[in-house]
Amino acid sequence: MAAAAEKPTKERLLSVLDDLEVLSRELIEMLSLSRSQKLPQPGEDVQVLELLVQRDREFQELMEVAQQQGSVHQEMQLLEKEVEKRDSDIQQLQKQLKEAEHILATAVYQAKEKLKSIDKARKGSISSEEIIKYAHRISASNAVCAPLNWVPGDPRRPYPTDLEMRSGMLGHMANMPTNGVNGHLPGDALAAGRLPDVLTPHYPWQSSDVSVGMLPPHHGNDFGLEPPGHNKENEDDVEAMSTDSSSSSSDSD
Amino acid sequence: METEEQARNRFQSELEFIQCLANPNYLNFLAQRGFLRERPFINYLKYLLYWKEPEYAKFLKYPHCLHMLELLQYEHFRKELVNAQCAKFIDEQQLLHWQHYSRKRTRLQQALAEQQQQQPQQPPHGNAAAK
Repeated sequence: MAAAAEKPTKERLLSVLDDLEVLSRELIEMLSLSRSQKLPQPGEDVQVLELLVQRDREFQELMEVAQQQGSVHQEMQLLEKEVEKRDSDIQQLQKQLKEAEHILATAVYQAKEKLKSIDKARKGSISSEEIIKYAHRISASNAVCAPLNWVPGDPRRPYPTDLEMRSGMLGHMANMPTNGVNGHLPGDALAAGRLPDVLTPHYPWQSSDVSVGMLPPHHGNDFGLEPPGHNKENEDDVEAMSTDSSSSSSDSD
Repeated sequence: METEEQARNRFQSELEFIQCLANPNYLNFLAQRGFLRERPFINYLKYLLYWKEPEYAKFLKYPHCLHMLELLQYEHFRKELVNAQCAKFIDEQQLLHWQHYSRKRTRLQQALAEQQQQQPQQPPHGNAAAK
């Protein structure tokens, strides 16, 4: 059904109207002529009449067709309006869905963050008793808070002093090979390693009793620091330090 | 593989060593002898970061060492430590910080003492009014 090949109804109506116009003009001419003279062709007026009637019939049909087309067109318009309405409804829903998705996404994200921080807090949780014990240890020994009667000249410090360092395990490890380079410590029997262990001052920062069960993490010798190398470093440690910390006096307000 | 005794000794020595890092003069000493430039030593300092974990940190008597250890991870800090003035500055600041809390406490005690001095004056007024 090649509907596109058919002429549009408007054209057909107009052409039929034209035909009607032409035919009616002819008829009127013929009628006016027949007043003055006899019919030259007797059958022509009947022919024209018949054509006229035919054209009129066509015209009526075309008008009906046009009317139907009009009503169809109206229906189409109604449906289009409905379609538009549904379209806007769908767009509205789409917007709302997008909003909802966004809100949910942020809610989920925040919940995940919360869970992460809960995990983190749980991992780092320490019993308050331990914390209090530790706080007591480091403050009672004046390691983080100066003694109330401290004045410049007091040898105590927030870090291990030379003496404390040398009397520790590291100091002893370095003392095993006797080195005569110690110009500053000829009289220090401790450095010469001749004092028995019983007399060596044992400072709490070395805590061998507390840390009985404790082991350091394993390490491959990636950093190439074998115990002999470690000792070598401590040999230098035992040599006189460039500045003796206990003699420095700091001006404190 | 080391024996348990060796591991315990290593724990002890590492505990002592890391606390020595709280001493800025010792750090200066290490810097001047070039230890802070050696790659194995730098790797060792990174390895020592395990003392930050609570189960190890609880053995540290001088917690300042942890801060020093963190600073030592930076090359700039290691380079600066060669200067004696740098070490002296750190020492001074450390001592001032150390005294901060005890100063605060003495101030609080002074304030409390002043308050108590004022209070004995008030009851006599109250008694006079009651009479």
